[in-house]
Amino acid sequence: MCTARACDKPRSCHILLLMILFKNVEIEAIKRIQNAEELIFMQIDATTDFSGIIQIAFFAFMMLFMLYGAKFQIWQMLKQVEIGLAEMRRMFVESRQTAIETFKEYGHSEEEIAEELDQFMDYFTIMPVDLDPAGILKRLDHLLDVRRDRFQEFVADLAPESSGSMNQNLENTLEVTQVLGLIYRLVRHFYILGKKTGSQITVMQIHMLMPELLLLAKAYFDAIGAFSQGKPIGDGIGPLVITKFAREFGATPESYTHEISKEVGYYTVEADGRTVYALRATGPGGTVGKPGFGVKNLMEKHGKKISRIITIDAALKFEGEELGRVAEGTGAAIGDPGPEKYAMEQAATEYGIGIEAIVIKEDEAAAVGVMDKKILDTVPEVIERIKSVILKRTKPGESIILAGIGNTIGIGL
Amino acid sequence: MGLISKLIGISLAAVGFVLLLFGMNETSVMSYVYSFLGLLVMAMGFALLTAGRPKEEKLPPPTITEIKCNDCDFKEIRDFKKGDYILKTVEEACPKCQTGMTIESVYMIREEAKKYNV
Repeated sequence: MCTARACDKPRSCHILLLMILFKNVEIEAIKRIQNAEELIFMQIDATTDFSGIIQIAFFAFMMLFMLYGAKFQIWQMLKQVEIGLAEMRRMFVESRQTAIETFKEYGHSEEEIAEELDQFMDYFTIMPVDLDPAGILKRLDHLLDVRRDRFQEFVADLAPESSGSMNQNLENTLEVTQVLGLIYRLVRHFYILGKKTGSQITVMQIHMLMPELLLLAKAYFDAIGAFSQGKPIGDGIGPLVITKFAREFGATPESYTHEISKEVGYYTVEADGRTVYALRATGPGGTVGKPGFGVKNLMEKHGKKISRIITIDAALKFEGEELGRVAEGTGAAIGDPGPEKYAMEQAATEYGIGIEAIVIKEDEAAAVGVMDKKILDTVPEVIERIKSVILKRTKPGESIILAGIGNTIGIGL
Repeated sequence: MGLISKLIGISLAAVGFVLLLFGMNETSVMSYVYSFLGLLVMAMGFALLTAGRPKEEKLPPPTITEIKCNDCDFKEIRDFKKGDYILKTVEEACPKCQTGMTIESVYMIREEAKKYNV
């Protein structure tokens, strides 16, 4: 055992002693630190240095996603919207080109048409003020008339060599291109707004609507060929049923009375002892006319002789329902913004007569696309249903208005 | 991307899966390396399986014009021509009885939509 007092070189010995003492303290400190480290690793359920790193990385990952998870989600949604937007842009550009190609055949050069068309793409209609709803339908009807006149004027200017029927088809082509342009611009607006503001709500809304908007755009994009070439579309089933029904009872194109209202006329036929006024828009150009006012004018013309109004139209089907399913109901089957339907309902209410509807179920794509065989095959069934309604709910000697609602593109008289 | 790449993809995914399992059962430090490697190989395999050109858009079915004789049962089916419309009287006479003919219908036969049994 070393004693400091007996030492010759007390200073060195003390230093040695101190060194040993410090060394022990140092070792003790290191041990304590190691114990503390082990304790920390044990607390985070890690048993080795390597697993500790993994655990820390895991916690860092968790923190990152807790703090920036929403940002990452927005980025992901924006990317998906961007893909859809590119598809919409493609559809719009291609439909614009189709419209230019179609207009080109009727008198103007491609450059002139492109310039005029691009200007007209932004054409809009301002809905009437609804703070004072009195007379709103009259004002709306007036605005729709002005809008239609403006479209007709544009088509006549851009396609001076086109005929009446083709003018209507060109109008439809123009409208489809405009719809595609509007959908594209709307989605682009929300996409850029979402990106600019980083607003999760804005991005989520447009992201959620994307599948439906894409379906709608696809339906219109597929339909542009039908409109530019004058092929009949699914929505035209109403007028087609009317003409087939009327022809069964001896009507001819010559027996068709024109212009009971704008672009609408009717056949007068005798069916099972009843007089049927079979009304439809005048084809084969693409028009829906103003059938509501046609019904109203017929009511005013024939008054109390009319005992029933039957409307035939294409109706939007629910998912899961069969394409071309025929259904019956009460009311005016017409999908206008309001004035036409109101005119029909008003006429029926005023004269106290029944108004009923027979509809053919279609989806959006079938309604605006080329007539599907399944829809066409429903014509005999619809005619049978009309006959049944006439026999069951009207008496011989009475008169009936049978109105076929829809676009008459590709459907002759 | 053909069948060979798909087969390579399946093989890589399988190898990756085995490596991942091996890594999960290993107790040494290398288990992390094996697991990571397994995941990487599996990801490469699945990437190869799902890669390829986007589906080509199907062309729409042709539009058909059906012409019927006004007198006899003669029926002609042909592709749609610009200017055709339903109930249009066509210029050609019926080859069977030499009377007039009318376009009876213009339509398209679409593919059956997917049905849900609910």
